[in-house]
Amino acid sequence: MEIWSRSLEIEDLIGLFGLIWGCVVVASAPTFIQMVEYMPLDHTLTALADPTRRAILGRLASGEARVTEVAAPFEMSLNAVSKHIRVLERAGLVRRRVSGREHLLALDLAPLEAASRWMEEQRAQWAWRLAELDRILKEEKP
Amino acid sequence: MSTETLSQVVVTHRYDASPERVFDAFLDLAVARRFLFATATGEMIVAEIDPRVGGRFTFTERRPDMGDVRHVGEYLEIDRPRRLVFTFGVPQFDPRMTTVRVDIEPDGVGSILTLTNDGVPEAYAKGNVEGWTRILAGLLPAYEGVHGAGWL
Repeated sequence: MEIWSRSLEIEDLIGLFGLIWGCVVVASAPTFIQMVEYMPLDHTLTALADPTRRAILGRLASGEARVTEVAAPFEMSLNAVSKHIRVLERAGLVRRRVSGREHLLALDLAPLEAASRWMEEQRAQWAWRLAELDRILKEEKP
Repeated sequence: MSTETLSQVVVTHRYDASPERVFDAFLDLAVARRFLFATATGEMIVAEIDPRVGGRFTFTERRPDMGDVRHVGEYLEIDRPRRLVFTFGVPQFDPRMTTVRVDIEPDGVGSILTLTNDGVPEAYAKGNVEGWTRILAGLLPAYEGVHGAGWL
């Protein structure tokens, strides 16, 4: 699909989310502590920006799997797949459980709830502005 | 109709005012400074608008919790009273800009405004971000099959 013909570079995504983050800071005028809360979004979206990592998430969506099972479909070294897995772990989208000699991976979509909350804050701020305009227009009604 | 995506905010509002009045509010400095980048507790200390395509705006608000916050942007499209498109950013946080599109349609004696804020720098293809949502939508049914519904 054309959409995925070009994957975003990690640097792009970090910049992108720096931007959105800045936007949030402005839009909702949060405290510094709230600002810090948005930083994991960088990790979440960076993790989602790569087709291999999305494929890994797709595999894990149907249940827990061993690292070797996850790596099997990819034409890349286990080491390369492990790097992708680490990016997903950093984002909290993948959890690792060690059972004996096996490393089992599981999907955790909770970080996306944070993304969802962020969206809602953005939306609320614009809604506030538009309602404010409504108030002004009524006030000035000729 | 646009599709809401992970990094896009869409807000609509109906006004008992003509599209012209609603549109003009965005480019009329006296009105814009009261709502556009204002917050309930801040004080607008700089408000400048150069209302032409390629013209720029600056709104600096002094906020009790975070000092002076400067919003800047450039008008990309001015099609009164239907559409206004401008870039928007806050350089002190990030030098890059988002795009805000305001579409206004008549609705009886009033109008309906749809605001779309793409949190995406212009350099990005729109599809890249829309795709995330689609991929996630594909993940969800499988995930909910394992973990149960209602995570989001």
